Amino acid sequence: EPIVIKFSHVVAPDTPKGKGAAKFEELAEAYTNGAVDVQVYPNSQLYKDKEELEALQLGAVQMLAPSLAKFGPLGVQDFEVFDLPYIFKDYDALHAVTKGEVGKMLLGKLEDKGITGLAYWDNGFKIMSANSPVITPDDFLGLKMRIQSSKVLEAEMNALGAVPQVMAFSEVYQALQTGVVDGTENPPSNMYTQKMNEVQKHATISNHGYLGYAVIVNKQFWDGLPEDVRAGLDKAMAEATDYANGIAKAENEAALEAMKAAGTTEFHEMTEEERATWVEVLTPVHDEMADRIGAETIAAVKAATGG
Amino acid sequence: MSALIIFGLLIALMLTGMPISISLGLTVLTFLFTMTEVPIDTVALKLFTGIEKFEIMAIPFFILAGNFLTHGGVAKRMINFATAMVGHWHGGLGLAGVIACALFAAVSGSSPATVVAIGSVILPAMVAQGFPKQFGAGVITTSGALGILIPPSIVMVMYAVATSGMQVPGPDGQIVDSASVGELFMAGVVPGLMLAGFLAFTTWYRARKFGYPRLAKANFGARWTAFREAIWGLLLIVVVIGGIYTGIFTPTEAAAMSAVYAFIVAVFVYKDMKLKDVPRVLLSSANMSAMLLYIITNAVLFSFLMAHEGIPQALGEWMVNAGLSWWVFLIIVNILLLAAGNFMEPSSIVLIMAPILFPVAVRLGIDPVHFGIMIVVNMEVGMCHPPVGLNLYVASGITRMGITELTVAVWPWLLTMLVFLLLVTYVPAISLFLPHLLGM
Amino acid sequence: MLRLLDRAEEILIVWLIALATVIIFVSVVHRYSLGLSADAVAFFRTHEMPALSAAAKTFYFGLRSINLVWAQELCIILFVWMAKFGAAYGVRTGIHVGIDVLINRLAAPKRRFFILFGLCAGALFTGIIATLGTNFVWHMAHASARSPDLELPMWLIYLAIPLGSSLMCFRFLQVAWGFARTGELPHHDHGHVDGIEEEAGIDDLGEAFLSSPLTPRDLVEKPKDE
Ligand code: NA
Ligand code: NA
Repeated sequence: EPIVIKFSHVVAPDTPKGKGAAKFEELAEAYTNGAVDVQVYPNSQLYKDKEELEALQLGAVQMLAPSLAKFGPLGVQDFEVFDLPYIFKDYDALHAVTKGEVGKMLLGKLEDKGITGLAYWDNGFKIMSANSPVITPDDFLGLKMRIQSSKVLEAEMNALGAVPQVMAFSEVYQALQTGVVDGTENPPSNMYTQKMNEVQKHATISNHGYLGYAVIVNKQFWDGLPEDVRAGLDKAMAEATDYANGIAKAENEAALEAMKAAGTTEFHEMTEEERATWVEVLTPVHDEMADRIGAETIAAVKAATGG
Repeated sequence: MSALIIFGLLIALMLTGMPISISLGLTVLTFLFTMTEVPIDTVALKLFTGIEKFEIMAIPFFILAGNFLTHGGVAKRMINFATAMVGHWHGGLGLAGVIACALFAAVSGSSPATVVAIGSVILPAMVAQGFPKQFGAGVITTSGALGILIPPSIVMVMYAVATSGMQVPGPDGQIVDSASVGELFMAGVVPGLMLAGFLAFTTWYRARKFGYPRLAKANFGARWTAFREAIWGLLLIVVVIGGIYTGIFTPTEAAAMSAVYAFIVAVFVYKDMKLKDVPRVLLSSANMSAMLLYIITNAVLFSFLMAHEGIPQALGEWMVNAGLSWWVFLIIVNILLLAAGNFMEPSSIVLIMAPILFPVAVRLGIDPVHFGIMIVVNMEVGMCHPPVGLNLYVASGITRMGITELTVAVWPWLLTMLVFLLLVTYVPAISLFLPHLLGM
Repeated sequence: MLRLLDRAEEILIVWLIALATVIIFVSVVHRYSLGLSADAVAFFRTHEMPALSAAAKTFYFGLRSINLVWAQELCIILFVWMAKFGAAYGVRTGIHVGIDVLINRLAAPKRRFFILFGLCAGALFTGIIATLGTNFVWHMAHASARSPDLELPMWLIYLAIPLGSSLMCFRFLQVAWGFARTGELPHHDHGHVDGIEEEAGIDDLGEAFLSSPLTPRDLVEKPKDE
């Protein structure tokens, strides 16, 4: 009887996360010589975005890859550091954290909640889109910007002068189309797969924030696995992580090209000065959120990125 | 195998007459507990998260708005307006009843509510004027069904909720998104007006054939007065549809706005309702909403069980492999839904059947919006025929006619609706024309 | 004592639905006014009226400092609570519909059995859910999860499940007991509208649903129309 690992996620099988999960399934079963049977449930088939963490804690599923923003409400607000605008200069800075000691330290904070963190999977850096040009912070005055629930993102939009609007991801397309909200922020691949470029006239390649996931398992389940099985799974996870991150980066680049080619959205490349203004307006959010996230955590991340 | 056990258990429990929500819940509990390793605590989690969605909240808001309108004199003024416009044609008051039902349907999300609101005012008036009771009952029972086809519509919200987030591949392998509440509302406009036209035609034709009374033609002054008095109710149509379309609010917000608007019109403009009546309206709205939300939570639980056992996928696989074409599938769906309409009310049918049928429909290349409208029209027909036809029972209460007698009375209009159902089923453009025009 | 519980239940659900409506109304008006004042800023700016533009801007930021980002979340929580307690109230008013076509054709003793069976099944299901829900809330109370926008403890929010289900279980038992003693069931009349029938000269619509297969029949009244 192989050990069953139910791996549930909320996106389609052909997204970077979906492909990463499939890769892990393949590698895990190979490296453990069939001692485990990984069953991937995509598309929130079993558990929705809002309930999957509880389902993991109850032991209804063994493995998840939720977005990092989910850990704040769980009681580990340190993870909100990933939402801070302009905290990572580029992928190298990001990976210095997610593949280094700081990343491991953060995952360790989940142990209290009955969760073991295994790896970070990238989605990508977010760009800002709206139905009017959003080139300077001044352009945001009065814009209703959709965000996912997060105090940090709320502060970010407030700093820009916009009106933050919390809305479920599934409602965003319709809301952008009718104009209930004016704009939003997304990595290019999300924007493209949700066809948001059809309903957004302008976008600025701001790369102002990061969107990523953590692959997590039920701690009790994980600790109960035989040593050799766990070693095999660790190896499979390390390879699946590199694979998933590689696809994510490539898909974001391809999505951006595809949207430019579609021509429904005008993409603005930031100049150095423009970027400097955004950084100036947005970095005060780091201090504003320091009490929430923990000044030490922010400092540790900044130290790791050399920023 | 598990599908047989699940459905066998569900049907057995339902036939004992216990509430449908309870039969759904007990089926899930029994199956999960005896046949799976799913931690049973998950059920408690699902019972909360099952309705934790902003889209669903449109239901209580629309029910509240509908109750304010029904109690607040809006229906009466809409009838006066419709009578002033078409009362002098063949069919007179009957025709006005169809129009008034269509107008009221555009502000209310429920069919029985439409039958009550319009029927309880217009039916006695028709009898007094010399129409046979059967004629009036037939008109109102069927026209009231427009309540769920012309937006807003609680059944459309249910369909959107039951299929939301399902990502199913179409015939070419591309993922097809489920229909949103906004799209369905826009898609309901053209079929709704069309069905109103069909029912009006049947009414006019039979009234002419049997020489039923007509009213004197209202002069321009009278029409203007009737319009001015009805304007507050009519404006709500603009608030809901216009508000959603222009992006002032989402469908759920539109529902909340219309509840507040209807409250103000009922209490402060028409003054047909006193402030002290408000808590009673709130209580009865909460009662009805809670019942529907309770069915939703248990239906969500049930579709979790279905997904866990892979039943919709297996069914889809089987149907596609059997070489089923889309039009045969739609016949089967129509028969299945009409049969279900003999035993259950629309919300339960949609919540249980939609998640199972939707993946198959999409794989066969049927548009999710078109499929939703077809289901809604099916539900309308089901509400007008026995043994379980909510509209029929409401009309029976108003007219004091027996169900058998009423069933005979509604047949010309029911036949009209069946013809219309065929049209909607096989001419997707009727449903899709407006949403496509609006770029949805 | 029971009277007090009845009243408390009614008052609670009335407030929940009223509050949810007002909150969404206010948040829509708030968002719309923000849009308008931002338009005003732009209008005065393009027409070179800096003073007015600045005033509009001050107004905009003042208005925006009222934070209503949590409105949706609160609305959902209020409605979930309303749904759980309203469902219990619904048992008392007999609004939960089932398929009674079959059992309404049975002779009285058998019908009595099935009606009691249905009520006990209701009590059983809600009783189980109350127990599971208590476990679940207990587990949640030891975690520190909070709701994302309002940051309320999740266990407090989920408390609706054990509380609502317990009350519902109690209501099922109450109705079953009443039925066993008197043979009467609470009836919900889906077609009933207060206020309209009197002036329109129509009798009470109460009977509409008594003869509907959607509501189980009492033993004390005879089925009609069959
Ligand atoms: Na309607
Ligand atoms: Na029926």
